[in-house]
Amino acid sequence: MTQRLQLGFVFIIIHMSFGYLLYPKLTYSLTKSGHWGIVLSYGLLQLILIAIYKKGLNYFPQKDMIDIFLTMGRWAAFIFLVPYAINLNALIAMNIRAHAEDIISIFLIRTPYWAVLVLLFLISTYTAIKGLSTILRASAVFFFSINLFVIFVIASSSVNFQLQNALPAWPLSLDFLWNVKFLYLMGFSAILFLGFVPSETNLKFGQLTAAWLYVLFFYLSAVYVPLFIFGQETVTTFVFPMKEAADSVDLSWFVFNRQTLFFGISIIGFNLILNAVKLWMIGQIMQRLFPGRRSKASYWILAFSFISFLFALCVPNKAWIEKLSLMSEGTNVFFTVILPSIIFLYVVFSGRMRSYGET
Amino acid sequence: MANLVQEMKRTFADHDDFLILDTQFNGAAIYLIGFNTLIDFPKSNFYVRQMAERSASIEELLQNLGEQLDVDAGELKKAVLDGNLVVISENERNAIMQPFPQSLRRNIDEPRNESPIQGPLDAFGEDIDLNIGLIRKRLGTELLCHCSYQVGELVKQRISMLYIRGKVQSALIEKIDRQLKQIERDIETIDDLDKYFGHRKLSPVSHLFVTEVPFQAVHLLKKNRIVLLLENQPFALVFPHLISDMLSTANDRNHPLGLSIMIRTLRVMGVFITLVLPALYVALTTVNPDVLKIDLALFIAESREGIPLTPVLETLTMTVLVDLITEAIVRLPKSVGPTITMVGGIVLGQAMVEAKLVSNLLVIVITLMLIASSVVVGVQNALYIRSLKYPVFILASVFGIVGLISGLAIICIYLASLTSLGIPYMTFRYKGKEDIR
Repeated sequence: MTQRLQLGFVFIIIHMSFGYLLYPKLTYSLTKSGHWGIVLSYGLLQLILIAIYKKGLNYFPQKDMIDIFLTMGRWAAFIFLVPYAINLNALIAMNIRAHAEDIISIFLIRTPYWAVLVLLFLISTYTAIKGLSTILRASAVFFFSINLFVIFVIASSSVNFQLQNALPAWPLSLDFLWNVKFLYLMGFSAILFLGFVPSETNLKFGQLTAAWLYVLFFYLSAVYVPLFIFGQETVTTFVFPMKEAADSVDLSWFVFNRQTLFFGISIIGFNLILNAVKLWMIGQIMQRLFPGRRSKASYWILAFSFISFLFALCVPNKAWIEKLSLMSEGTNVFFTVILPSIIFLYVVFSGRMRSYGET
Repeated sequence: MANLVQEMKRTFADHDDFLILDTQFNGAAIYLIGFNTLIDFPKSNFYVRQMAERSASIEELLQNLGEQLDVDAGELKKAVLDGNLVVISENERNAIMQPFPQSLRRNIDEPRNESPIQGPLDAFGEDIDLNIGLIRKRLGTELLCHCSYQVGELVKQRISMLYIRGKVQSALIEKIDRQLKQIERDIETIDDLDKYFGHRKLSPVSHLFVTEVPFQAVHLLKKNRIVLLLENQPFALVFPHLISDMLSTANDRNHPLGLSIMIRTLRVMGVFITLVLPALYVALTTVNPDVLKIDLALFIAESREGIPLTPVLETLTMTVLVDLITEAIVRLPKSVGPTITMVGGIVLGQAMVEAKLVSNLLVIVITLMLIASSVVVGVQNALYIRSLKYPVFILASVFGIVGLISGLAIICIYLASLTSLGIPYMTFRYKGKEDIR
């Protein structure tokens, strides 16, 4: 039971981590009115994907995603999972780089970004090497402390809310559904992580829906808090709207000058867990696909984190971060859609084969 | 003189406290053999004489006295070393008897390392049987199991394992049983034993939680834990050691629930303050003065005016100094301790501030931290929390607030990664019977 709860925590944390950075900005660029429409339709789409994924996984109660692909055949595992690992690596690099930029703009204006990168990479790698059980246990502490901060940030920025900024509240058109950028939004999902835990011990669909609703509520707040404060016209010009929103608040009774501090703290927490989970996933994939006496997950994690560190180091500025992030997210969309579908199709196909055999 | 006696004499020729007392029984000589440092000879001799008056023959006397009769020379030697009295008659019959021992044990005393308020005041002593008795007296149930081990290379030392049957997983019991039977070296200290529960070199967190209050040990036994007792150590070693041990004692619940929650919250705050405060001071003075409100930032800047040391050096000096003083006072005899405290207090509190070596604010920070670090339960826990503040401090001096937060994150992750025999250190709901996670 505790493990399920902890899995839920990790699920929520990694989504929140994605949501804090580029999610609001993408949403603003998609529509001028009724932003909730985007968030909710995105939520629904994801939920359908989760349902398909869970359906597929549930046919193999004791196996995780890698095992399932390996039962399909080694070639299938190689074709789908190795590119996925590389994509994950790119995601990590861009994610840490973007977070580093955000952290630097909040706390460490004079510090070179490589120093922050080193710190974040070291901690993430260390956590990933310690394994999933460590991540799960640590995530419980992270979840509660970070959520406190997030709620504090949202609550305190409500002072500056001007509700008319979000008008018109009704979506004027549904064109965003056909926009490529809407698909990019799907890249901010980490549902594939669920496949790495055998479904016997994994979250049930109902629990998963509850966690997903929590995430959606949070996404809504991440989109609407800056919107309420600045309005659509201003918000589209920001790189990190949520940060600006937190920055706008001045609490006279508070010790700290800006409560962006807490926003920054929560970003660090999110980021560490997110990247640790991703690195751990890479480690699992590579170790299982290339079994050998010397093939240890920790070596793979070290190697991949070093590569993504170098990659992140080469990205020069915010414009590039945005461009490359979108590219890696876009590839992630591909995998988020393809991998659950393949597992589901495999189940349907092989199930049908079996029933043909019986009749 | 009998051959056996001669042999014993030869074996223990280098021991000046080895004593052979010969007395007469019905005209025949009997020899009482043992160490006079372990055995109260006059009393034991008197007892033997009394028994002799009631016995008709030597055989009967030996039967009355001894627990074991007619054993070989090797066992006799071992018995002597264990502090027993060996009785040998002229015709080579022998017996091992329980003598009146020299009193080498202190009585049941008050705990020295913990001070329970509003709770039972007896503490474990050095005698392992006495310790087990203290637990048995409180837990009069047939479900309390007791396994005894004799381990060691040079000296066989007794280790006892106690648990409540049905509360601890039998697989765990078997695992510990196997570990304890594997021990080949001498177990002198808690750390020696600790090594057999998995490798944790240089880790500040032990596998075993140390308590010297039987009340606490019994409470933990009921909470599905295992208690190990080492001979000659006035502690109960509780396995597994969980993070909650640092924050709560059984004795808290002698207060109403609300108060005990308050006490525990204070302990959590204490841990947090110890880890954060010095690091926060450095972060706010060196890297991130901008996060503070302007008047606060100015106040801090003002208090540091004219101080030649950098904040990092200043804080490091003070924290190390405070740790030094704490260590010194612990080691010093009670008569010298207060002098050091007084001088240390004056030097730290006044002289350093007046000489403008450290700022006023830092002295407050350090004092707060020192007080906070002593809040947690257990000397060992307080020490490890104190040691963990250094990495956070170093990170904070480089990265400011970011370093502080990542330092805390690292500590959290590190503690989450610790397990002893598969049981994680960071569990708040430890259930013995169910699947352990």
